[in-house]
Formats: sequence, structure tokens, C-alpha cells
Amino acid sequence: MTTPSDSSRLRLLILDDEPIVCKRLKPALQKLGCTVETFTDSASALARLGESAFDLVITDLKMEGLDGMKVLTEVKSSSPATRVVVITGFATMETARESYRQGAFDFIAKPFRLGDLLDCVRRIGSELGKDLSQATAK
Amino acid sequence: MRLAFGQRFAFWRPRSRLPFAVLFKKFQSILDRNNHILEKMADMGDKLGGEYVFDRHYIEHSAEELSDMVFKLVSDFSLLNREKNSELFIASETVRQGIAAELSGKGLRRELGPRILPLAEIGLEHCDEVGSKLANLGEIHNRLGLNVPEGFAITTAAFADLVAPSAIAELLPQAARLWQDRDEAGLRRLAAEVHQRILVTPLPGSLASAIDSACRELTKKHGGSGVRFAVRSSATWEDGGSSFAGQHLTLLNVPPSQVAEAYRSVVASLFSFAAWRYRLERGYEEDETAMAVGCQLLVEGTASGVLHTCAPDRPSESMVIESIWGLCAPVVGGECATDAFILDRIPPYRSLATTLAAKTRQATADPRGGTCWQEVATERQHLPSLAPDQLQTLAETAMTLEGFFKRPLQIEWTFATGGDLTVLQVRPLSRWTSRLAEDGRDSAPQADATVVFADRGVIVQCGVATGRVVRVDSDRDLERFPHGGILVARHTSPRYSAVMGKVRGIITDFGSSAGHMATIAREFRVPTVVNTTIATAALHDGDRVTLDATHNVVYEGEVATVTGFIPIEEEIFEDSAEYRLLRRVLRHVTPLNLLAPQSENFLPSACRTYHDITRYIHEKAVEALIHLSDNHGASHSSAPRKLTAELPLGLLVINAGDGLDGAADDPEVSVEQVTSLPLAALLAGLSTPGMWSTMPLSVNLNSFMASFTRTFTTSLAGPKDIGRNLAVVMRNYLNINLRLGYHFTTIDAYIADNVNDNYIYFRFLGGVTELIRRSRRAICIAKVLERYDFRVETHGDIVLGRLKKQPAERMRQRMTMLGALLGFTRQLDAQMHSDSDVAHHAEVFIKAFDDHSAGDDHDHSVRQQPAPPAHSR
Repeated sequence: MTTPSDSSRLRLLILDDEPIVCKRLKPALQKLGCTVETFTDSASALARLGESAFDLVITDLKMEGLDGMKVLTEVKSSSPATRVVVITGFATMETARESYRQGAFDFIAKPFRLGDLLDCVRRIGSELGKDLSQATAK
Repeated sequence: MRLAFGQRFAFWRPRSRLPFAVLFKKFQSILDRNNHILEKMADMGDKLGGEYVFDRHYIEHSAEELSDMVFKLVSDFSLLNREKNSELFIASETVRQGIAAELSGKGLRRELGPRILPLAEIGLEHCDEVGSKLANLGEIHNRLGLNVPEGFAITTAAFADLVAPSAIAELLPQAARLWQDRDEAGLRRLAAEVHQRILVTPLPGSLASAIDSACRELTKKHGGSGVRFAVRSSATWEDGGSSFAGQHLTLLNVPPSQVAEAYRSVVASLFSFAAWRYRLERGYEEDETAMAVGCQLLVEGTASGVLHTCAPDRPSESMVIESIWGLCAPVVGGECATDAFILDRIPPYRSLATTLAAKTRQATADPRGGTCWQEVATERQHLPSLAPDQLQTLAETAMTLEGFFKRPLQIEWTFATGGDLTVLQVRPLSRWTSRLAEDGRDSAPQADATVVFADRGVIVQCGVATGRVVRVDSDRDLERFPHGGILVARHTSPRYSAVMGKVRGIITDFGSSAGHMATIAREFRVPTVVNTTIATAALHDGDRVTLDATHNVVYEGEVATVTGFIPIEEEIFEDSAEYRLLRRVLRHVTPLNLLAPQSENFLPSACRTYHDITRYIHEKAVEALIHLSDNHGASHSSAPRKLTAELPLGLLVINAGDGLDGAADDPEVSVEQVTSLPLAALLAGLSTPGMWSTMPLSVNLNSFMASFTRTFTTSLAGPKDIGRNLAVVMRNYLNINLRLGYHFTTIDAYIADNVNDNYIYFRFLGGVTELIRRSRRAICIAKVLERYDFRVETHGDIVLGRLKKQPAERMRQRMTMLGALLGFTRQLDAQMHSDSDVAHHAEVFIKAFDDHSAGDDHDHSVRQQPAPPAHSR
């Protein structure tokens, strides 16, 4: 397995105020060949998004402070090319519809199968022409 | 019969009469809630499989939903049985509080449970009670049979007692705030204060005397005076998710009379500034932290040290042993120069490099207590502290341990004066796993090694294992299973869990990666490949092989470069606090303690879990409905009538309106008198003779019926058991609760001319039989239901099938199919030997039923009766 150069990697930011979500997603996504940064508070995540470009943001919806919907709208307005996937434990038709309206690429209800999220990231990877490993996470 | 039945319920007198329809509605609502609760429980259980990403919110939300449903279930039941059911309400409240305690973190500082646990009774499952460090030690002693210092644990329950006084308890929550404000000085002051208060707080009298008597017992067993203890910290999470290495106190050479005091000092070290900061930095919540303490006999080692199963900063094929003369403590503390031995990680564990240090002094037990330095005689200072055979023993033990824990380890050990190796501590090394796992993945499969077979079957658990093939065909083979063998068998079986601690790898001819054995293999992280079809033919007892379950190859002999792979997964999901929390919450939810309704403890007061409560209520709700209609008599509905049929179903039928012919007060009803469309169709299916003869199995109707009868003659023998099988019918409606052995089937169906009203709800729930066959049958049933247009969900051994809005004739045919399916699967239970049989049996059924239906006259009326069975009893 050759190590892809950084520009060919999918750059990914995860924001969830429950550390377990970051902890579980990060290694699995790294295994796919993404570069992954994780945040548990939206302020630092937004600050980081202001500094650097990401291909994909995975964000929780309901958090302390700035909620995920705001993160979604800010990302889409400042960097429309960035894909945003919303993951939430409070999934309703309403929030799903609103997320898509705001430009979310996908909307995933928690708890979710790790494999489902990886499939979603692979889809985004192939849309963006980034080569992701086919390895499946356990 | 009828009299006995009435007498049995004589205690029951309705206080006010509610219309049967109202009560029946309650009954249905109970069934409905019961289903939802079981589904929710199964859903939560699924989350422990590791496939899902879930968070704390999910656990809290699910627990709340469950508690709510159970409360409503008990309320509904109270309306149905017209009792207060205080004991059920108390039981459900107790469970709810237990869950709330887990969620608030107080579950860890459980007030219940023993204060002292002997090491001989400790396993990994006790990590909440005794901390990971002691749980690891207990496990390797009790499961792997390795020497560890004898002793006992003072549990987290004792810790809860110790920190309960308000003078301490009220200080603890301040830490999180200080940390948030980055007030290190404040935290330092707080730590000093808590530390001091613990040191001056007297132990609860009962704890002091329990410690005392545990020490005395050990002292007596080991020759009276002179026995000394090592008192070690074992905080929750220590050596589990985080190492907490060196954060907490260990006291060596403690005389029995001072163990209680040493205990208090070790507990206090949990609140040293350094330790507190460490866990705040790592995000541990205060209330999920508790300190258990191990009190073990001090082993006076001649040589001791630390072994890393993967030498840091060296190729992954080597392990490193650092050792000194005397006690182990200076190695861990880095207080003196050590000998270093680098060894191969594979047998015969060749020595790769040795560096000897000048060992001028050694730690030894001070006769006055504690340890002291002692000069090493000049001629021994430059001698290797370990002999070649000791190195071998160490290497073998280390690889056994690594194979067991499935990750690189740091092992503290000592050779006692008698020469035996004693393991003092085992700590996982998560830091290196990632790098090594990468190495493993990047290595190409071996070109020069001889491949026995490759790419056969399904990988269940990645990793590499080397060892001798041990063929398992029977339980006796399991009893004799040697440590470190590679289990080769025809089929997967959950019975192999008995040897999971000894097995290095598993290869089977048949089986599925979703089976129960697969789950257990993953739990133990045993490299496993199933469904190879040729394992037993290609591998023979005693062959030395290397199983590379990562690349799905089996090699002849030991393949050195392959075994360089580390048999681990880098993210150990079970280490997450959420996983543990969910597991702890489920302990209050899923275990089923009320098994047999006939048994004496089938009582509301014996309900310990939500599962118990739902189980109890389901059983009693069916009973209540029977005697309810019995007492109400014909004024509201018919009394229950016993179905007389060739099928000994033990079925009582309540006619709630136009469902049965014949006199309402007739205690019996024949199959011919069933006018309820759904029930008639179901019975037709159950007794269809034509299809059974086409079975390739050794099924004849006689034995099929006998299997029914066996269950029901025994259950009918006791009057308490009557009425477990109950149907409530109307002309177009059926609600039936069938208990066949330990398996429950519920069908709720409405079939009439208006297509939109039509539905069939089918639920199958396995009971307490062997897990794997149970779920195989569940899969078989699911396959068949899907073939017949049902929308199907399976959760473990629960199968739910729903069919809606089909024309009456098709619904009727589906009911007939369900009847046939019930009989078929009942018989099948004993026949399902492997997962591959599942699809086969489903196909056999579908073909047989379709053949039968094809010959069927589609225009037959509801009242058409099945022919009598070919072999009636």
C-alpha cells in the first residue's frame, strides 16, 4: 500500500460534542486514507474551518453552543464545495429536510453502522476523484 | 376439568365489570408493549456488537424509553388483572433506579455487592468491581492457569463507602470546575485536602473487619507469621482504556495488621494532584472513577522485571525483557540499571541481543516493613539475572498472554525463590499497536511458504495464529483442548466459548460470520475463518500451521514473517466508556431470571430485570384473559373452550364474537366448529398432511405430532400450566399466543373483505434453548416470511413479520402458510446443525408448501377442514 500524498487524500473534519463519536470515526476514516481532524466544540471547529480547506465536514446537529445547523450553513456559505454530512441522535423529518435544504450531502441518524458512514465517505471520495481504500472497517 | 379450572381462579373476584371488549383491548395493548420492549432490548443489544457508532445520548434515550414502556406495561396489566401489582411496580422502579445509578456513574460505586472478592473468583467481567488491573490478573490466573500472587480485592463498593461521607463527597465535584477554569493551584489545594480527609476518615467497621479476616485467612494458609502483602491500586480504567501507569500508589511488604491502613493510603492516591490531573486531562468523569485495591501476598523474587511483547523502537518480530535481581519495583520506577534481553517473538524464541548491566544493588523486603536496598555480591553484579530456561518460560508466557489479550503487552513478573514464574501485572500497550498493525497489513502474503489453502470461507476475526491443529468433534475434545491449539472443526458452535481462552485460532468447514461463535471469537479476538468447506479434510490433528486470518491463508508450519503480524485490531471498541456504560445498563435489562412458569420463583418479587417483568406479565396476561372470560361467562364472551383436534395443541379458544360454532357453554370445541377465518386457516396449515411427506428430513407426521405432544402433555400435567396457549377469535379476527416448548409465537390477524383492514402480525421469539440453533431458526423463519411477502425484521432470535392490505384469499393462504411453518420449524429445531442448513431448510419448506398449495383448490371455503393426519396417534 503506497501512502497517498496529502493532496490526494480526502481532508475531513469531524465535529461531535460526544468524544466517543470522534474516537470511533477517526481511526476508521484514517484507515480509508482520509486525513482526519476532530473537534468536540463548534467554536474551535469553525475556527479551524476558517483556517484550512476541508473536502468533507461530518457534524452533529445538537450541541452545546453553536449548533450543527449553523455550522452547516456557515460551511456552505464560506466554502460551497465542502460536503457536509449531518449525523444526529435527534433525527426527525423536519431536521432532515432542513439539513438537505441547507445543502447537506447526507443526513444520518445516530446510532448508525460504521460501515454505512464509510460508504457515504467513499461515495464522496469517488465524486471528488480521491482514491479511498476499499478496506472495510471492522 | 372445568371445575378445577374455576376453582383455581376462585380467589379472583371482579370488583367491577368492564366490558370484555375493553379488557381485551388492554390485553392487546399489553402484547403490543411487550413486543416493543423486546424489540428495544434487542436493538440495544445489537449496539454492543461493535458495528454501530452510538453515543451517550442513545443510551440515555433508550433507557428512558424502556422504563416508560415497562411502567405502562405494568399499568395496563393492573387494569387487566384488577390488582394493584405493587410488587411489579416496585420491581420496575428498582430496575429503573439501578439504570439511573449506572447513568449517573453511581453504578460504578455500587452500594450493592461484596466489599471483598478473592482473586480466585475474579475474571474480566468484574472490571467494574475490581478495576481492570485486578480483573486482568484474576482472568489470567483463573482462565489461563498462570501464577499470580494470591490475594483478594477490596472492591469499588468499599470505595463508595469510604468516600460517601459528605466531608469528602461534596468536594469531589469541584475538580471538574477547577479544571475547566484551568485553576491548577486550586486543583492542587483540592487534591491535598481530599487526600488528607481520606487518610483521616475511619474505615467503616464492617470493612475493617472484613479486610482483617481476609488477611488472617491468607496468613493462616501460608504458615502463620511472616506473611507480607503487596497493596496495589486498581482504579476503574487503570490498565484498561488508559494505563494510569505509575499514577497511583503501590505499597510493598505490608504486614497484615497494616493492610487496612495501606488500603486507605492507596485509595487516597487516587486524589493525588498528579493522578487527578491525569484523568481530567483524559476526560474521565469524576463519578466514573473508583478505586479498587488489590491485597496480594508479597512474592519475594530472586529476579524480576518487565517484559514488552513488542520491543519499542525495534522491528516488530522481537520482544524485550528488562530484568534485575530482587524485587520488581526498581525496574518500573526506573531506579537502576537493568539487563536487557531481546528475543524473537516466535518459538524457539532465539536470543537476538543481550546487554548486561552492573547490578550493584537490589530491592528487597525490609524486615521492618516496606522495601530497602541491598548490596549485590560483587561476583553476581555482572552475571545475567536470567538463565536461558527462564527466558524461555518468560517468552512462552508472554506470547500466551499476548495471544489472549490480542494486543502488545507490558508484563511485570518475578521468579519466586522456589523458581516459579509469577505474573504481577499485565498492561496493554495501545501506543504501539497502530504502528505494528500497519506493518502487518503492509506485508505481502508469503511467497515462499507452503500454502495449505487460501481464500476459502469467511474471515470472522483478523489476526495471525500459529500452533498445532486440534480437531474438535465432541465435548470431550473440548475438555481436553490444550492451550495454544488451533481449533479445527466441521461446524461453528457457541460451545467453543468454553475454550476461547486457550484457542489461538479457529478454522471450520461450515458456519457464518454472523453466528454466535463468531461473536464470541471476536469478543476474544481469536483469529477465525469459517465456512472454508475443506478445513477438516486439509488439516490434521497435530499439524503445525500458521493461520493468517488477515489475508485468509493457512500455511504449513510456522511462517516467521507472517507471525510478525500483531494479532490485534488497533481500536479496541470495548475500551470506550459508552460501551461499558451500555453493557452495565443492559445488565439491568436483558438477563432473564424467570424461566419456567411452573417454578416456585415465577413471582413478581423475583423480577430483577425488565426482561423478567415483561416475561412475567406476558405469561400472566394470557392467564388473566382466560379466567376473565371464564368468569364473565357468556354475558360478555364465551368461556374458554378447549380445542379438540388431532393436533394436541392444548389450545383454549375464547370466542369474542362469531368465531366458534356450537353451544357457548360447551367446554370443548372441535376444529369443525371453528368459524373464525384466520384460526381455521392457521389450523389447516398446522395439520396439512400432504407436505410433510415430501420432506427430505426424517419427518413423519407421527414424530412431528409427538414433538408437539411432548411439550403439552408435560405442561398440561400441572394445572398451573393450562392456558398458555390461547386464542381469542372473532369471525374475522384471531389473536393467538402459542408457547411451543420455550418458544413463543404471537399472531394477530384480521382478515375480511375490505382489503385495507387486513393485516397479519407475526412474532416469533426463541426461548432459553441453545443460542445458535435458536437464531438459525429465526433466520430460516425470516427467509420464508420474506418469500411470502411479509415485511420482516429480525433482532437476534426475535422475528417480526408484518403483512398488510392483501385480498382476503391471499391473507388466508398466508395464515395457512404460517400454520405449516410453525409445525415445520418446530420439527426443525433439532435438525439445524449449521448455518448452511438455514437456506436449505427454508427452500425445502417453500417448495413443499408451494407444491401443496398448487394442488390446492383455490376456491375452497374457510370452513373446509383439513384431512385427518396420515398417522394419527
